[in-house]
Amino acid sequence: MRIADASIHNVLTSVVVSFIALQANAQLTKLSFAPQWFPQAQFAGYYVAKDQGFYKKAGLDITIVHPSSSISAFDYLYNGKVDVISTFLMDGLKQRAKNVPLVHVGQFSQHSALMIVSKKSGTVSTLKELNNKKLGIWGYGFDDVPRAFLRQNNYKVTLVPVHNTVNLFLMGGIDAMTVMYYNEYDQMVNYGINEDEMNTFFFSDYGFDIPEDGLYCLDKTYAAKKAAIARFVKATLEGWEYASKNKEYALNLVVKEMEKAHLPNNKAHQRWMLDKVIELIEPGSKNVEKGQLLEQDFHNALTILRNSSDAGNLNTRFSLEDFSKATK
Amino acid sequence: MKRNSLSFRIISRVLLFCVILFLLTFTVYYIFARVTIEKSTRENAQLLAENAILKIEQVLKPLETIPDNLSWMMESGALPEDSIFAFLESMVRNNKSVYGSAIAFEPYMFNPSKQYFAPYACRTENETRSFQMGSAEYNYFIMDWYQIPAMIREPYWTEPYYDEGGGEALITTYSVPFYLDIKGKRTFAGIITVDVSLDWLTEIVNSVKIFDTGYAFLITKTGTFVTSPDRFRNRIMNETMFSIAKESGTPELREIGREMIHGKSGYRSINYDERGKLWVYYLQIPSTKWSIGVVFPDKEMFADLRQLNGFVLLVSMLGLVLLVFITIRIIRKLTEPLSQFAKTAQVIAKGNFNTELPVITSNDEMKELHDSFEFMQKELTNYVANLKETTSAKEKIESELRIAKEIQLGMIPHIFPPFPNLPEIDLFASLVSAREVGGDLYDFFLLNDDLLCFAIGDVSGKGIPSSLFMAVTRTLLRSVADHEKGAAETVATINKTLSMNNDSNMFVTFFLGILDTKTGKLSYCNAGHNPPILIRDGKEASFFSFSKSIPIGLFDTFDYTEDTVTIHAGDQLFLYTDGVTEAEDIDNKLYGNDQLLKVVSEHASAIPKKLIEEVNKDIAVHVNGHVQSDDLTMMSIIYHGRKH
Repeated sequence: MRIADASIHNVLTSVVVSFIALQANAQLTKLSFAPQWFPQAQFAGYYVAKDQGFYKKAGLDITIVHPSSSISAFDYLYNGKVDVISTFLMDGLKQRAKNVPLVHVGQFSQHSALMIVSKKSGTVSTLKELNNKKLGIWGYGFDDVPRAFLRQNNYKVTLVPVHNTVNLFLMGGIDAMTVMYYNEYDQMVNYGINEDEMNTFFFSDYGFDIPEDGLYCLDKTYAAKKAAIARFVKATLEGWEYASKNKEYALNLVVKEMEKAHLPNNKAHQRWMLDKVIELIEPGSKNVEKGQLLEQDFHNALTILRNSSDAGNLNTRFSLEDFSKATK
Repeated sequence: MKRNSLSFRIISRVLLFCVILFLLTFTVYYIFARVTIEKSTRENAQLLAENAILKIEQVLKPLETIPDNLSWMMESGALPEDSIFAFLESMVRNNKSVYGSAIAFEPYMFNPSKQYFAPYACRTENETRSFQMGSAEYNYFIMDWYQIPAMIREPYWTEPYYDEGGGEALITTYSVPFYLDIKGKRTFAGIITVDVSLDWLTEIVNSVKIFDTGYAFLITKTGTFVTSPDRFRNRIMNETMFSIAKESGTPELREIGREMIHGKSGYRSINYDERGKLWVYYLQIPSTKWSIGVVFPDKEMFADLRQLNGFVLLVSMLGLVLLVFITIRIIRKLTEPLSQFAKTAQVIAKGNFNTELPVITSNDEMKELHDSFEFMQKELTNYVANLKETTSAKEKIESELRIAKEIQLGMIPHIFPPFPNLPEIDLFASLVSAREVGGDLYDFFLLNDDLLCFAIGDVSGKGIPSSLFMAVTRTLLRSVADHEKGAAETVATINKTLSMNNDSNMFVTFFLGILDTKTGKLSYCNAGHNPPILIRDGKEASFFSFSKSIPIGLFDTFDYTEDTVTIHAGDQLFLYTDGVTEAEDIDNKLYGNDQLLKVVSEHASAIPKKLIEEVNKDIAVHVNGHVQSDDLTMMSIIYHGRKH
């Protein structure tokens, strides 16, 4: 009985708390969201949409939760702490292929920002020269496209997993490194390497223009909050639109978020990142609307997954419609 | 200055020269000072950087030996595996500068069943503790502190990072690869590290001060700021030299950053922010390969110089003002006698020759001027004394002459009409003497009841002699003439007497006439005198015709001839001296006989007094104020005839 009492007490308390909360935010639908990394300009659109009240206007009360070095966005999604997460398309696909009940609800990045960088003073000046060289590579979803590319070209490359700095590359510990154009590439520039001192190879130029940042939620969340999620995607696009027209303001928001998280930050780098991320959102030559996933991109990404060394463990038999709610 | 005075002219020139000289000197001094300051500042900046580095190395160098020793101990087996934890702990405890230390092994190297094995000892608040830090969660193999030295097989100083314990402490790790002998083969076995807190380093770098706001900063191999003065605190671990260069649009800063991360040293200037031109001296720290920069604003480098310049300018200005003041004083003092002399000259000019001269004590040009003035005073006094004497003498003579003239004029008759009882005759005469006493004369008197004797003459020369000679002639005429003698005889007698004692060879032109008032017969003798004019019946005027004779007083035996003419009632006789016909105007043009005859003709019907007045008037018009040089003497006689 004591347990029952406690349970009833708990239930009552939570009802009261919920009620008060509902009163406070009368019509707003609560949604929580986790981007895939620490605060940076890559997520400016979310900060702007929240700060400008675009979410509120869409009837949403959005909480943004950043992952930490020990807890990833997926962890938050699985343990129910957040409703929606942002991650790479390859990552989302892979999770889905691992039978995680995940659904794609929005696609912001339409292009690949992944690239390989080598020093002109080094030994790799063409991709062919990667053979028998050391290539630094990020794990956690950044490596799918590079691995597919290397396999496709049959390059025998020693992959060196790197953690989160470019120092190994700077110190000459590796011959080349996969980086994001909007992030590590500019970091290197900000560490004193001139752009003309680097060879750059964009995967998008080699048939791997795989979109990156997209939004995902669990099937059940989608079923329960379909309308709210759609509004979330739309309001976020508005946020990006606003950020692209008010970059200085957006940058200040980003820096504020970074300071809140005690992260090293400098405006020069965040400015670069904001510019490049905004460029990625533009469909360009792709016949797709902003926020939506192009069917061809889905198939290209799935093909990469099917050809990966991990393919045996993956269930890649699902359709675009099964996977994405943000497609024509 | 009212007067464009001597002192003003001298001062303006001296001042101009002084200013030019000063500017020239100042410019040379300024350039030299700048160069010197630049050089010494550069040396100072270099010294500051070198000192800071020396201090940093004093800490870092010993630390570098710790992993080296540990590595040797591991390699040589001097450190038993079961005592690694205890050893690390005591090592950290005994090295104040060491924050933590690890011996991280390659996978399965320490124990074939253990992928991760990394004993680690570190300081906590008041103790040291140790633990094994490798795990699936903490995959140290891909951490910079392990991965980089492992791959490059060289010791490596990591980029600084914040203490994971949540402290504010900045930490860097020095990692050294170590090797073990595996089956007789020296095999890479892992990484030995020491963690070093960078608080002391920040302190050393921040203690570098140069000028007012000059400071030092430290960047890592990536250009990331490790230290920065308080006002740029936000840069620490956030910004790199290159991000700042980009954000501020200062490509030169990027260049400096690149030189710094590439281990070069140098001295460069940039324009970065509102501080204007900045100078940066940079030098690499040999151990960590980080770089220290000493920064200071250009304007502060020359702040002292500017202050000094201000002082120099002020002193120079004061000097110039003083120079002007003193120069004015000196020149005033030197030229003061000049203006005194000028005043004295004015006083002297007014006649006060004995006025006191300025006192000159110097023996220079002023003294000469003083002596000249003194000489002038003396000369003037003498001259004026002489002049006074001369003037009084002259005045005396002039007064005597005036008296003589009065006497002379008194000698000739001047009561008109002269013969009220003789109705046959009307006569008028006038003698206007020149300034000096002259030698003209006229006279008339009755010889008996019927005979009128009249004469006019002009003595040669002027002055007292002439007037005396005239007096003599007139006296002779009065004494010689009588009714028994004819005109020529009277003239001859006078001539004889005058010629006899005439040593000075003076002579007289003389006209003598004797008119018989009963008959109108006029006998006359002309001794070289101007021909008289005869006006017939008040109408027709013409010059007399007569025999030519020489003036009297020249030859005592000269035989003068007598002419006779009969005049009728109404005829008028006009006599004159050469003072009339030779009256000069300003252009020395003579009045002339023709003009005289013309005027006389015009007034032919006038009575003698009126006629003479008219001629006088006409002469006055001719000379037009020019000084009269000779006596003007005229006499006119009208004959009315005898009424029966």
